[in-house]
Amino acid sequence: MRVGIPRGLFFYHFYPQWKTFFNRLDWEVTTSPPTNKKMAGGGILTAVSEACFPVKVLYGHVLELAGRGVDYIFMPRLVSIEQRSYICPKFMGIPDMLRAQIPGIPPLIDLCIDVSRNEGNLYRELDRWAKKMGLRPGRVRKAWNDSTRATCELEAICRRGYTLGEGIAIWEGKTAVEPGPGDLTVGVLGHCYALNDPLISLGLFERLREMGAAVVTSEMLDPQKIEAAAARLPKRVFWTVGRKMVGTALMLDEDPEVDGLIYLTCFGCGPDSMIARIIEHRVNKPFMLLTVDEHSGEAGVVTRLEAFCDMLRRKRRLELAHNLSPYGEFLYSH
Amino acid sequence: MQKIYLGVDVGSVSTNLVALDTRLQVLETVYLRTMGHPVKATQEGFRELQSRLPQFEVLGVGATGSGRNLVAAMLGADEVKNEITAHAVGAAHFHPEVRTVFEIGGQDSKLILLRDGVVIDFAMNTVCAAGTGSFLDQQALRLGIPIEEFGHWAIRARQPVRIAGRCGVFAESDMIHKQQMGYPTEEIIAGLCEALARNYLNNLGKGKEILPPVVFQGGVAANLGLRRAFEKMLNMEIMVPEHYNVMGAIGAALLAAESMKDRPSSFRGADFILDGEFETRSLECNGCPNQCEVVSIHRQGQVLAYFGDRCRRWDASLKSSKVVSRELKKAAR
Repeated sequence: MRVGIPRGLFFYHFYPQWKTFFNRLDWEVTTSPPTNKKMAGGGILTAVSEACFPVKVLYGHVLELAGRGVDYIFMPRLVSIEQRSYICPKFMGIPDMLRAQIPGIPPLIDLCIDVSRNEGNLYRELDRWAKKMGLRPGRVRKAWNDSTRATCELEAICRRGYTLGEGIAIWEGKTAVEPGPGDLTVGVLGHCYALNDPLISLGLFERLREMGAAVVTSEMLDPQKIEAAAARLPKRVFWTVGRKMVGTALMLDEDPEVDGLIYLTCFGCGPDSMIARIIEHRVNKPFMLLTVDEHSGEAGVVTRLEAFCDMLRRKRRLELAHNLSPYGEFLYSH
Repeated sequence: MQKIYLGVDVGSVSTNLVALDTRLQVLETVYLRTMGHPVKATQEGFRELQSRLPQFEVLGVGATGSGRNLVAAMLGADEVKNEITAHAVGAAHFHPEVRTVFEIGGQDSKLILLRDGVVIDFAMNTVCAAGTGSFLDQQALRLGIPIEEFGHWAIRARQPVRIAGRCGVFAESDMIHKQQMGYPTEEIIAGLCEALARNYLNNLGKGKEILPPVVFQGGVAANLGLRRAFEKMLNMEIMVPEHYNVMGAIGAALLAAESMKDRPSSFRGADFILDGEFETRSLECNGCPNQCEVVSIHRQGQVLAYFGDRCRRWDASLKSSKVVSRELKKAAR
């Protein structure tokens, strides 16, 4: 059996796990190539116009895989990947949206992943799927349990200072280019599927590094410390990614090594419209919200990034000259 | 011979050139409409500058504005900077104590916060260009009023009409509606200025601490009506510097002066700029599925620079063998 995993959305978190899962069942796994304009164009034409750009890009990847004649496409119905927390509500409808809008689509494996209460739901779902496929439930459960180690492996790689995209490449045995040290350090926040897809982020990581800034993402930090920082909000954020972003921002805000924070958001993202504001109001360090969409010209992003790095450098020069604390009360009083 | 630092700001609506002397004082400024031809406008502007300053030696060139890369290749710029830094540097040069800069240009608007002469925060308009120069141009044209007089009409109004300023399309339909109801033009224009000021402060100024002194610059700063609207809303004085419409170019020249120190300028010389036939071309690279749109600038058929290729191989081909560039040209077909 050959299963295709589209390179979009939570691919960047779970590809190693999903690949391991199917490999344990002796299935062959194939992925779509990195997003290119043609795939994005196909996605834009097919997807509902209200969807955010990363969802449209996912359509492009599914179309690509459909054209390659895979037996199945793995598109889990992601509801919750940790207790008491949820993924963006759009994601639970994605398998249905794909079926409705892509005629002749290969059969989807749409395992419902919902561990918001406990793991029980997930195992029942695995059993149901095993039965449907004529597999032994015990074997499927074991394959799943074994596969979770891959996520830990990916996380361990990223903790050494790699982005998720680079982490996946290393996990697959490729040698990643060692990012050189920069004279600036910028914390980059946002959804993994926007940040790690250079077509969506307009090459954000690469551009920042070219401008001499080292990049820090939430995957490079201690998840427990992120949780602890996020817990400082008066109300718990119940979006998995949103809470991670708040925690990361608050943590990096206190890190003297970090010069500023950039939040990349995709136009029309509901959770981000709130999370980015919460962060903006809570951090003291320079913060920039970058909004991108399908038509976003690179010039606009380049100008903003350049200006942001310039600002951080000139500011540091001023601080050195005055020998003052950079974030004194006269800066941000809100 | 007069030694100068040259600053060029190639914006969507205007192309500006300034010459600063070695004491960083403004010698000459040129303000031209880009009219969709940034290269031609720069050539024309340079010719104009040369006619005003017969003998000069260029010590450094700075370029800014959305067309900065194109023009940098043409002039041989030493410093190529984004508009935010350039405008902040320009404003702080004339008003070292400035803490807020409003810059409204042809296609975008910026809010820059400075403390001790250094940018500490900024905001740029996101997706919509409502309230920028090109929208005002369009409205002035529709009403048959020269854009230079637009602001004066606004301050003649006794009572501004309420206009929706959130979106350019809404604003225009609201203006037409009010005009058909019989409101005097002055009052509609004043209403528009207030709507734009409100939109600017709401959109860019949200959560930002706007502290005086405030400097208002960019082409739209000529609009007295808008300046008054800002003053009324913020209840503080808004300063418009003498060279408000070329502050980006001044900033670029200052940045060039700062970066030059003793190294020689890569300025290509007046003959190169004025005597050459410049041409821009675009092509779609088929080298990979990204299909980048690559733009090139040529002088007398010779390529000066390529832009827009993600992988930079077109740009790199200029420095490498002819074989590589021939192969690339094949890929473009």
